[in-house]
Amino acid sequence: MARLDDEDRTSGAVDRETIRRAYAADPFEAERRLFGRLAHADRRGFLRGAGLAAMGAALGAAMPFHRNFPSGLVPAAFAQDSEAELMAGKDGLTLLNERPVNAETPAHLLDDDITPYERLFVRNNGLVPQSALEQNAEGWTLTVDGEVDNTLSLSIDDLKNDFETVTQALWLECGGNGRAFFNPGASGNQWTTGAIGCPEWTGVRLRDVLERAGLKSSAVYTGHYGNDLHLSGDPEKEAISRGVPIDKAMEPECMIAWAMNGQDIPALHGFPLRLVIPGYPGSASQKYLTRIWVRDQVHDGAKMGGYSYRLPAYPVAPGTEVPEEDMEILTVMPVKSLITGPATGAEVPAGQPAEVRGHAWAGNGDVRAMHVSLDFGQTWQEAELDGPPNKYAWQRWRAEVTPPEAGYYEVWARATDQNGVMQPPTTPGWNPRGYGNNMMHRIALFAV
Amino acid sequence: MRCDLMGMTRGRRRGRRPAGAVLRRAAWLAAGAAVLSAGVAAAQGYDPMRPPQQQVPGAAAPETAPEVDPELGGLPVGPGAEDTFYLCSACHSISLVTQQRLTDERWDYLWTWMIEEQGMPEQDAETRETILDYLKTHFSAER
Repeated sequence: MARLDDEDRTSGAVDRETIRRAYAADPFEAERRLFGRLAHADRRGFLRGAGLAAMGAALGAAMPFHRNFPSGLVPAAFAQDSEAELMAGKDGLTLLNERPVNAETPAHLLDDDITPYERLFVRNNGLVPQSALEQNAEGWTLTVDGEVDNTLSLSIDDLKNDFETVTQALWLECGGNGRAFFNPGASGNQWTTGAIGCPEWTGVRLRDVLERAGLKSSAVYTGHYGNDLHLSGDPEKEAISRGVPIDKAMEPECMIAWAMNGQDIPALHGFPLRLVIPGYPGSASQKYLTRIWVRDQVHDGAKMGGYSYRLPAYPVAPGTEVPEEDMEILTVMPVKSLITGPATGAEVPAGQPAEVRGHAWAGNGDVRAMHVSLDFGQTWQEAELDGPPNKYAWQRWRAEVTPPEAGYYEVWARATDQNGVMQPPTTPGWNPRGYGNNMMHRIALFAV
Repeated sequence: MRCDLMGMTRGRRRGRRPAGAVLRRAAWLAAGAAVLSAGVAAAQGYDPMRPPQQQVPGAAAPETAPEVDPELGGLPVGPGAEDTFYLCSACHSISLVTQQRLTDERWDYLWTWMIEEQGMPEQDAETRETILDYLKTHFSAER
């Protein structure tokens, strides 16, 4: 597995657009002409000499397993423009991963009641589709099929014209938000606290569309599909395809959205159409939505099985290997809150009240109470808590804390849901993939 | 830093102590004052929730930090680094690897998952061992 030398990297570079067009016209001819590869009967063939160097140069990296790369398949990196460039439109996010794009937002940048595009976290499982990068929704159709009386094929105009349009503030949180705090570590992006945001979505109720299709009595689950490309570049593979129980899908807050904060949904967040299933892990809210398959069983699409978005059915010690059959699907997200102001490490005057504020949310609906502590959880005071503008919008809270003398303090924040369930001070049940960590957020305050 | 500061504030709050404790307390206060002055200077952005595996941006690398190869996505130098880089970065960025601190069993599981679910090409036994040894050495929850 020799690396390409610098000369090889720069020689014979072919631009991405040329590659894309050539592959679209005739993938096998494109490969022969651009890279000198002749496909064998099994659609695999060595790239040799100049051809390998040219592909490496165009990729910006060597392609060590080219022998395994099926002929006639556009290498994923050529398939589209660099989606990483889109991150330039984000403000202050921490990039965890470039491919796929995953980035989280520091808590103090999440202070807005409605999260602006610039500060909304990004969690993609596959590659941003070319249609989204080009903001091209021409000919887009949403298919609703399976356990329905009438299969629907809806254009975006059909959705806009034939159903009631609704606008709601709905939070989305990655199921793995807080994964970084589990020990031993859980695999996946190491989100700390920032895979959460609450934009305003415009679209139609998922329920209205499902009712138009007519659910059969056999309908038990939804299965969601989008047109994002799997990381391997294999067009036959789904990047992700999750679903929710029909009862959840029929909640009036669940949406098929085409706008976020009054604009077309941005490329990173699901252009031109996405689901918003509030209260569930964000992965249920399929981006780049093309199809809703109503199932007569629990959906078995990509990342529904194994350890993905699943928790052990019983409490386990940290690091336990749990058999796959003992894993259960993560559904309702736990109660949680963030301190969004001031930023951690802020200086405040000793002996004077300082305002702290943030948001609170719960997967089962409204948050009942919010408390803060300035002494490492020894005493608590109740914070002022606003009601949400609609169900599943996060709720603003604020409190005044008074550090008695100069020194180091921490603000701990604790939300309580409508069942009286509170956030824990440390990580809740360890699980192999690190989901559902709703431990209290805490920030440092220096009283001077 | 957090432990030193908490030690100092605890020392301040508590009342009468035996003589030995007073001496220890004085040492705490001296250490605490030094840390506090440094701490306040560096207070902006100090985060008590920062996971231990995340580097502080701009902080000097500890002397024990492994040498990394920027050509290989910042992977630590060592046997298997090159094979690991080329296999993993064919589909996802290497930062997804360098974030992990997993048990050996989880690395074995991920290898199989990558092949069975994510389309990673099968590797010969030697390559498999080289790469898994590298991952278990450098990105482990066990060592």
